[in-house]
Amino acid sequence: MSFKGAELLVRALEQQGVEYVFGYPGGAIMPVYDALLNSPIKHILARHEQGAALAADAYARVTGRPAVCMATSGPGATNLVTGIANAFMDSVPLVVITGQVPTVVMGTDAFQEVDVFGITMPIVKHSFIVRRAEDIPKIVAQAFQIAAEGRPGPVLVDLPKDVSSAVPAAASIFEMRRRKRISPDPEQVRIAQALILAAERPVLYAGGGIPLAGAVDAFRAYARASGIPTVTTLKGIGSLPTRDESYLGMLGMHGNRAANRAIQESDLLICVGARFDDRATGRLDGFAPGARVIHMDADASEIGKLRQADAGLLGELPESLAAMPTGLDIAPWREWCAARKAEHAWRYDAPGEYIYVPDMLRRLSEAAPDVTIACDVGQHQMWVAQHCHFDRPEQHLTSAGLGTMGYGVPAGIGACLARPGTRVITVSGDGSIMMNIQELATIRRYGLDLKILLVDNASLGMVRQWQQLFHAERYSEVDLSDNPDFVEVARAFGIPGFRITRRDEVDGAIRRLLETEGPLLAHVCIDPKSNVWPLVPPGQSNDVMMEELSA
Amino acid sequence: MNHTLRMNIQKVEGAIIRLLGLIERRGFSVTAMNAHSDDAAQQVEITLQLRSTGRSVDTLTRQIEKLYDVRSVACLAASEPAVVMEESVAC
Repeated sequence: MSFKGAELLVRALEQQGVEYVFGYPGGAIMPVYDALLNSPIKHILARHEQGAALAADAYARVTGRPAVCMATSGPGATNLVTGIANAFMDSVPLVVITGQVPTVVMGTDAFQEVDVFGITMPIVKHSFIVRRAEDIPKIVAQAFQIAAEGRPGPVLVDLPKDVSSAVPAAASIFEMRRRKRISPDPEQVRIAQALILAAERPVLYAGGGIPLAGAVDAFRAYARASGIPTVTTLKGIGSLPTRDESYLGMLGMHGNRAANRAIQESDLLICVGARFDDRATGRLDGFAPGARVIHMDADASEIGKLRQADAGLLGELPESLAAMPTGLDIAPWREWCAARKAEHAWRYDAPGEYIYVPDMLRRLSEAAPDVTIACDVGQHQMWVAQHCHFDRPEQHLTSAGLGTMGYGVPAGIGACLARPGTRVITVSGDGSIMMNIQELATIRRYGLDLKILLVDNASLGMVRQWQQLFHAERYSEVDLSDNPDFVEVARAFGIPGFRITRRDEVDGAIRRLLETEGPLLAHVCIDPKSNVWPLVPPGQSNDVMMEELSA
Repeated sequence: MNHTLRMNIQKVEGAIIRLLGLIERRGFSVTAMNAHSDDAAQQVEITLQLRSTGRSVDTLTRQIEKLYDVRSVACLAASEPAVVMEESVAC
């Protein structure tokens, strides 16, 4: 029996254990959509290709396996680009399949032709143009392997229509190379061990590489056995439960003051799966100025990229962590950190009548410790990172590297599908939600139990905050007071909603969100002047943390 | 700072542009280039002279090694600057 290229593709996806494909059909990808009709793979129709890509991104983050998104050529492919870049910046394993015009007309500016292979080159881990149908099984297998191994990332497979329609003469036989396992260099391990044993003020600086490497348990084991105080990046949140006594909070621009102070005071920084990103470090030459550095990572090019490492441990994080010494004599340092943690604990006694979002988010995560929160981008994203508690990193879905407004709703969709029965809440803002508002239709279409907590300050809050602080209060294009009625918008999509405006309504709203069956949107109107504190001004070192301006 | 890199890459679609794109994106400019395609071995041998304004060629080499199509990369001549991280200029 002979199969068309499109059927080979769908079979190859089935062999990879793919349960869902997120996508949108169109001309050049039609043979694949035809083949999907005969497959047990379930297709989730987004209402914009970007929504499909971002939902797949979140699905991959929650399941820890590569997710698949698909679109047609031309505008379908270009609409995926933001989602591909999002996955690239946050090292998320994604297999992206795009239809392409037939090979004979490629390069002739054919209808819906775009060089997506060229467009996406800087934002993929690797990419393929499939020229022969018999290569499809091998390329799909390679795409999944490349997407998942080492430091994960998106892989694009561009599939011309004549290739997906062709019946290859013979199925090609191929052998996959074995997955590379890298062990850290023994000499570097010895140096790292000596650095830890000699350190008086060590800090674990934990990044998103920990969950990506499946190293959460290994990290916790080491953090607890060593007693070394821990700070995390935005993506590392939950690597140690946020209620753990050794956890000091997120570091960086909107980090906790205790976390930043511990880093600045430290004499040894143990960087585990993080990359010295500018949002974490602030001014780089002022970051942890007195610290030696141990850098553990799966990506050789990250070690020493921005900060020289005294010991570079390239390879599997669990293996590196297991080789590090415990039984350290750091009691005074632990006490110092605990005192800073108490000193800089968040306060929730904000004056005024408006709903105080940090307090609302804290109450939400106390009422539902198991909740998965899919964030959008902006002020509310930082409030979630600061004030919600997480036991596991995959409970916190956030667009960290790219900062993609519009991530929250599709990410919530991906999370609902990745773990049916899990409680998922999208926390969004009035700016962000409008970037992928059409995905409310996807929630409705698949009957997903996604709750949306929409924090509305009638402005682009984070931009407004920067204009207030760094542009002499010259407000430019940040007023959104002409927003639509979001409760009515949700209702039009078949999703019930309600609105709150007062503090005494918060507990009732949280109860409603947690007790209602099916999708629900809570529209929370807040003070348009709310800001995120503390804040390290751009270009400053993390010593310089601005606190709330007095009103 | 001038550097010379020699690379052996697989002769597949996009491999050369992917390599050159990465090099420019990471802050290096190509000042001389020599490429020789070996069809029998399905590989391309590329020698590049690069100029940078203070970025580490060592980091660049490791970034090139990550490319799936690259079989080997060797730094033939490097004048590695002392890497000085300027103040954070990210926005």
